[in-house]
Amino acid sequence: MSRRREEGETKAALHQVVEEMYTKLEKGETPTMTLPVRTKLNIDFDKKLGVYKYGKKRSTRDASSLGSAKNLLRALHMVEFIDEMIDNGKSSTLREMYYISEGWGHGKFSTQNESNNLAEDLEIITTSMREDFRLRPEEDGSRIIGNLTINELNRRGEWMKINARDDVGDSGYGVPYNVEREKIELLDHDIDFIMAIETGGMFDRLIENGFDEEYRCGLVHLKGQPARSTRRILKRMNEEWNLPVVVFADGDPWSFRIFGSIAYGAIKTAHISEYLATPSATYLGVTADDIVAYDLPSDDLTSKDIEALKSELSDPRFADGYWQEQINTMLKLGKKAEQQSLAKYGLDFVTDTYLPEKLAELGLA
Amino acid sequence: MSIAEKMASNQKQIAISEFFEKNKHFLGFDTLNRAIITAVKEAVDNSLDACEEARILPDITIEIQRVPKSKDQLILIAKDNGPGIPQKSIENVFGKLLYGSRFHAIRQSRGQQGIGITGVVMYSQLTTGKQTYVKSKIASESSAVEVKLGIDTRKNKAVKYSQERVIWTEDEQIVEHGLFIRTQMKAKFQRGSQSIVQYLKMTSIVNPHANITFRYINSDGELEIENCWKRATLNLPTPVKAIKPHPHGIHLGQLQRMLKDSEERKLTSFLRQNFSGVSSRAAKEVCSKADLSEGAKPKLLKTEQVNSLLDACSEVKFLPPPTNCLSPIEDLLIKKGLSKTIDSKFVTTLTRNPRVASGNPYQIEVGLIFGGSMPSDQQVQLLRFANRVPLMYQQGGCLLTQAISSIDWRQYGLEQSGGKGVPKGPATILVHLASTNVQFTSEAKEAVASNDDVMQEIRKALLELGRNLRRHMKKKKKMAKAQEKFDLVNDILPAIAEKASSLLGKPVPELSSTISKIMNAVIMEQSTYWDKESKTVRVKGILYNYTSRPRSYTILMNWPEKQGAVMIDNERGGRKETIGLWAWKIETLQSGERAHIEFGLDNLEKGDWTETEVFYRGSAEVIGASKLDEKILEEMKNQNSDEVLETMEVITEEIDETISNVASRAMKNSTGDEIQKESFQTTLFDGEVDE
Repeated sequence: MSRRREEGETKAALHQVVEEMYTKLEKGETPTMTLPVRTKLNIDFDKKLGVYKYGKKRSTRDASSLGSAKNLLRALHMVEFIDEMIDNGKSSTLREMYYISEGWGHGKFSTQNESNNLAEDLEIITTSMREDFRLRPEEDGSRIIGNLTINELNRRGEWMKINARDDVGDSGYGVPYNVEREKIELLDHDIDFIMAIETGGMFDRLIENGFDEEYRCGLVHLKGQPARSTRRILKRMNEEWNLPVVVFADGDPWSFRIFGSIAYGAIKTAHISEYLATPSATYLGVTADDIVAYDLPSDDLTSKDIEALKSELSDPRFADGYWQEQINTMLKLGKKAEQQSLAKYGLDFVTDTYLPEKLAELGLA
Repeated sequence: MSIAEKMASNQKQIAISEFFEKNKHFLGFDTLNRAIITAVKEAVDNSLDACEEARILPDITIEIQRVPKSKDQLILIAKDNGPGIPQKSIENVFGKLLYGSRFHAIRQSRGQQGIGITGVVMYSQLTTGKQTYVKSKIASESSAVEVKLGIDTRKNKAVKYSQERVIWTEDEQIVEHGLFIRTQMKAKFQRGSQSIVQYLKMTSIVNPHANITFRYINSDGELEIENCWKRATLNLPTPVKAIKPHPHGIHLGQLQRMLKDSEERKLTSFLRQNFSGVSSRAAKEVCSKADLSEGAKPKLLKTEQVNSLLDACSEVKFLPPPTNCLSPIEDLLIKKGLSKTIDSKFVTTLTRNPRVASGNPYQIEVGLIFGGSMPSDQQVQLLRFANRVPLMYQQGGCLLTQAISSIDWRQYGLEQSGGKGVPKGPATILVHLASTNVQFTSEAKEAVASNDDVMQEIRKALLELGRNLRRHMKKKKKMAKAQEKFDLVNDILPAIAEKASSLLGKPVPELSSTISKIMNAVIMEQSTYWDKESKTVRVKGILYNYTSRPRSYTILMNWPEKQGAVMIDNERGGRKETIGLWAWKIETLQSGERAHIEFGLDNLEKGDWTETEVFYRGSAEVIGASKLDEKILEEMKNQNSDEVLETMEVITEEIDETISNVASRAMKNSTGDEIQKESFQTTLFDGEVDE
């Protein structure tokens, strides 16, 4: 199980990776790096934690092809780089590391995606978190609006009390990349639930319509597939404040995946699912049924959409009856709809009719 | 009589000066940029034709000067070392339209209609009022003649303004023979794909026997551009023979003129004497089909009789015309021409056998040059030529372009949307049509007119180039794979070992056993390149034994022995296997060791030899070389023919593939337990198994 580690432990865990390669070389064999298979074929439900974690399947990346040999070399450079940062008390963004790799000779990254993926690989192998590696993403977190109060340690090292309704502008409270206790304290709230919203347009619509006050909720903008910090703060609010979380997204296969990563854990980050996933989160809509029930303007599914839906059918996270039915219904309909298609019935329809009806189904309104 | 005098004596005249003045746009003087290109073209074509006929290796210099303080006026200077023009013929050559021996003879020539240089003199006079200065020296006279010329366009006659005998010297040497022209005209000098530089570059590709120099001097009197295309061969184009027309290629007007001029008394003898391919049986058949008496007097035939004679000609079968009236460039010289002007990695050229379409002999030559510094995201550059003359305008409407566009180049490794049109990629395609009668779409002579026979012939030639290109790409791909492995064991693996050791503070482990495991193969790395310093081709090969056992092989390489190359600096020795094939015995190559084979090839020029084939004799496969087929080698020793070597390549290529497939499977299966099976899978997809 992953947990935040002491510096010495992190270094030792990273050196295990180096040790594996060295031992192979010493024996005259091909150097390797062993890590969990990172596909849906290898995620299992952890009953104790209530989230999906990587299973027992291991894959070995060996130096027998140019691409994977380079990957091994990069991993070594990255270990060295992290070692140095730990020793010198520094930290860097993933992007900075990507640029620093310019000086790594044959171990240089050709895209930032490569460096991000490798950082994740090392997290998984060493069961550490990238914060232990002193690496941070530059992906910005989400925005929050609602009557809830947060204590944040600012740049001057002072704790700052922020109410996400009274102390913020229309854009809301910006969630920083680090939302752990050393940076963020959840102080107080006067709301009944949290609603996570996929698109900025819908987030702004609900604010303009005063939905957060009327229905006593906190609104969180997900910005598509949510960043780690967004998922982490959702989880903390769910656990520490004991608030239900509902997800309001577009009605398409990709929104299902967004929900999957919030509720059950993302496949890419299954090694830290217990930190990021909110198992009790519920999907509010737009559902496949809604498209029919509300007669929403819809688009035909593209071949990519259909492929994604079919892949979800065999995804263990969507194995329960509810999701199987939703996915099959959408496939049968051959249609998808955006959350903003609700505007067909006017700007207030979503707040006056749709959401109250949906929330009532869940017993939240 | 000197050659020049002989040439001049053949000249006949036709008066259409006035027609020209009204129709200058037909003749390539319609825009200011085009006017100067046309003028250069006429001068260069004349020089090349004259030199060819007089069997002189041409040295041609073209200079363009911007006239200071003028609007769009250029001075053109054209100088050659050709036979010169006798004093008495100068006025006719420069002053009369359609004056030239070539107009009446049937053979391949550049100008073909003789309208050329006179047009330049006339254009100059029309746009600037200036006379054209001509200096000519023929070998049989001791001094040169200097003339200033204008043209009386109504009388179709040159007007001579001055004439003097002078001693012509260049660099303090008396000029033996040659022609110098200076003329001033309204024109614009431009750069780009339709420019003098491009025209001369193309000319140099198809005239590899010529030295061509170009200079541009701007309005400040500064030398702004200087290009020099050196000759790539000392061999002049094969002399061409003039042939009589073939009855299948004759037109009414031409037939009428021939009948009028004929001396023969009988129609049958007229047909036999004045045409090629007409046997006495065929002559009789024509007469009977035309319902004319065999003894009819040719001079006296009436128009309707001439018409029926023409119809009869098209119905009767004749012997094909002789094809020695054509002068192809020959594939090897096209290769040289292309390589010297365009930087590339691969050149393939082909000269087809001559053929006949509608009584006209013609011959197709094609070339394709690939890679190097050519841009890969743009359309392929097309170089079109008719009788060694570059075609620079009307690309879309030209048969040569249509033939290229009709081929699906995607199967040969070029990009092309929808499998037709001009393909994209880092390539240049050359098509040369040599014919006694090139049919153009218009008087401007910039686009070849449609013809099914010629089209099919070009397609056949291009398809063969396409196959060669595909073979080259395949080989390149295979070498790239081997190269990856090299990079892996030579660069990446040592870096991994070094970094891992330093992180752990342990000694760097010995890598040879790991390397053998990863490679598990014997690999031949080979490169052929031109060495500027020594002016020789260098061939370098390294044989690596990346297996765990000692190996022994005989390595063989082909080389252009028949082209006169001399093998030098071959320190490893070896022995001659057969003509054009050298063999080196590598007795024992220990695991992890390498053997070097290096030699130079002298007596060649840049571009003559760019790819070397490597073969091997031995039990285990060598990646990067083909197994030698002993049966074919035997045949080769008997016949010593290059074609056989080519077949051998094709066959060994297939064998090669099978072996490497087996080998790679064997390599993958050599690992074992459950984890390793995963590794086999992930290796296939380069280690990435993300969502």
